[in-house]
Amino acid sequence: MKWISVQNNQSFDLNSIIFLEKDEFRNSVLNLMKNGSRMIALTPIQKNIPQKLIAVLVNSESSNIFVVGCNFENSELTFESWANEFPHTNYFECELSENYGYLPLNHPWLRPVRKQNTILNNRPYNFFKLEGEEVHEVAVGPIHAGIIEPGHFRFQCHGELVYNLEINLGYQHRGIENLFLNSNPNQRIILAESIAGDTTIGHTFAHCSIIESLTNTKTSLRTQIIRTIVSELERIAMHLSGLSGIANDIGFALPSASYGRLRTLAINSLAEISGSRFGRGLFVYGGVRFDISNQIKNVIVTNLTKIQNDIKYINESLFSSVGSLSRFEETGIINENFAKSIGLVGLAARSSALEEDVRINFPYSAYKYNPVSMITLSTGDVFARTRARAIEIDEALRFIFDQLENLNQGTITSEVGNLSPNTSVVSMVEGWRGEIVHIATTDENGNLTQYKIKDPSFNNWYGLSLTLRNTAISDFPLCNKSFDLSYSGHDL
Amino acid sequence: MNNTFKLRILQDDPIIHNVKTALGLPLFRGMPNIEDKPCLENCNKCIDVCPTNAIQLNPIKINLGLCVFCPQCEETCPENIIHFTNNFHTATDTREKLIVTKNIKSISPNTASKKIQKYFGKSLKLRQISAGGCNGCELELNALSNVNFDLGRYGIEFVASPRHADGIVISGPITKNMANAISIAYEAVPNPKVIILVGACAISGGIFKDSDQISRKFINENKIDIFIPGCPPHPITFMNALLDWLNKK
Repeated sequence: MKWISVQNNQSFDLNSIIFLEKDEFRNSVLNLMKNGSRMIALTPIQKNIPQKLIAVLVNSESSNIFVVGCNFENSELTFESWANEFPHTNYFECELSENYGYLPLNHPWLRPVRKQNTILNNRPYNFFKLEGEEVHEVAVGPIHAGIIEPGHFRFQCHGELVYNLEINLGYQHRGIENLFLNSNPNQRIILAESIAGDTTIGHTFAHCSIIESLTNTKTSLRTQIIRTIVSELERIAMHLSGLSGIANDIGFALPSASYGRLRTLAINSLAEISGSRFGRGLFVYGGVRFDISNQIKNVIVTNLTKIQNDIKYINESLFSSVGSLSRFEETGIINENFAKSIGLVGLAARSSALEEDVRINFPYSAYKYNPVSMITLSTGDVFARTRARAIEIDEALRFIFDQLENLNQGTITSEVGNLSPNTSVVSMVEGWRGEIVHIATTDENGNLTQYKIKDPSFNNWYGLSLTLRNTAISDFPLCNKSFDLSYSGHDL
Repeated sequence: MNNTFKLRILQDDPIIHNVKTALGLPLFRGMPNIEDKPCLENCNKCIDVCPTNAIQLNPIKINLGLCVFCPQCEETCPENIIHFTNNFHTATDTREKLIVTKNIKSISPNTASKKIQKYFGKSLKLRQISAGGCNGCELELNALSNVNFDLGRYGIEFVASPRHADGIVISGPITKNMANAISIAYEAVPNPKVIILVGACAISGGIFKDSDQISRKFINENKIDIFIPGCPPHPITFMNALLDWLNKK
């Protein structure tokens, strides 16, 4: 064994990591990927020792997380890129190169991830450009029309059709990973809530799980159930918001307004529990701050019953309309093999028939005892990504009703001790977009020395750019909304 | 067609009619109320737990521009002096008024000048710019146009181009990478124009104020018309701020 294998949220000693030589490291990672694993992180194990690298891979079938180490102390910071065989690693290599000065050799397309005005290979970076007759370029952003985060999009078009879309992000970069290392625990929770404000619960869940693993804290069953209930509430709220946006993008006003109205009910249910419409302030280390009383439970059940009843009619209106189907079907297709090779995760992956769901493949918290169903669709187009939202809402409603009925008595907080020294943890959570990964490491004094975050958007932005190939540029807003990716989650 | 009518009937009457007197849900954390009681001697607990250093003692003051409305100070105070009420009126027009002491029950901006009221009283078009906002404030600003809040009924709307706007609404701590874009967008807005800051990040940098990746130059160099505190601010807080400022009923 050239690597160690751990489970989701299982802490491991830093000394147990096997740091290989460069060539062996490359082959080990390659072997794992040939056996069906997928990269989820490529980062130095400690921020201040960039020579000691780890690659973290996951195998969704066996539910294992593999950590492969490499020591570059006696060699240059270069390695042979994996991206020509396994394209999904390319963005991780770009990120490593940008943050720590590594150079992946023979990388197909080294490009900036978050920095503006970067110099790569001693040249300023230029956008990919097409030349020829009747070819034209459309540049959009960073500021877009509408209330949305900033990002820059470059379309290379031939008439209406897009040859290539290059997405240039980083405008939201706030240096959040560094802030985690320099903050006290009270600040870290607020930071986790602000990684991506639409996935407040997902990211805070991952962060709390990491700290609880590092401190060997056991959370009560009631805590775990409340945490999964609010996760599903967030999923319902954001899927409703997505459906409303998609209906709005095809100019179908009534379903758009109706989904928007139901979203208010979903986020107000969160506000009933936590006082915040996004669930801010709910998570604390070792538990949750607010309990679900019988009174609150009744309000939530009333709100969700209303959603369950009304959404049937709204879905029927949206999905039975010939107009909307003609826009949704066969627009922005990603087939299964393609989705797998570029490493899509979450809702977008499941819409392309990939069975990727952290709640099922790497079960955590109350999902271990109360499973949810995997929802996959096969067409991989805008229709699949829209329909998947509607079905996931139904499943999330079923899950919440189930859990509320069987909510057991118990405490909602546990005592949290000090962080264990020289320890590392990988924590994965299924946010409403997909797989959230947090990785933390402590030094010999029990201080955090590395905090790595991967939002599902980090994987899926590349997917969006590829769906646009040979698609009409006028379908861009629809494709974009069907993925509904986070800018701040990517830019950190 | 029948389904269309059905949807309209199900929609019922979801709008919040009286925005000015609306109150939040029981646990909602809005305007903080500071009880007129002495603190315990040498007690610094609220200052120690505050994630953004928003609290000062002797006498106790909370800076709403920094506050992220987490309940950590309320939870830790042994004398129960700090309590977040469900009052939505927390916005104002000067930085001084953002500092809440024990005698203040709610704050609101002063009415705008006669000129501004004449120009924007019946129609105010705003261009929103996110500069490091986490999408929390952005979602709440989007929610302003839904059927529950319907900001459009007051003639206030968000538009796509700064050229069509009367002012800009900024969310986020202003990242270095957005500093240039935000200046260009502001220059493109015709005069007279207003600047509205939404959320703790925009007003003070919030939880990101110590990051080396943000640049506060634009905020420091321009006159800010309205500050809307919160993390993120509730849509009704935003509505109340503009209604009070434009002197609308």
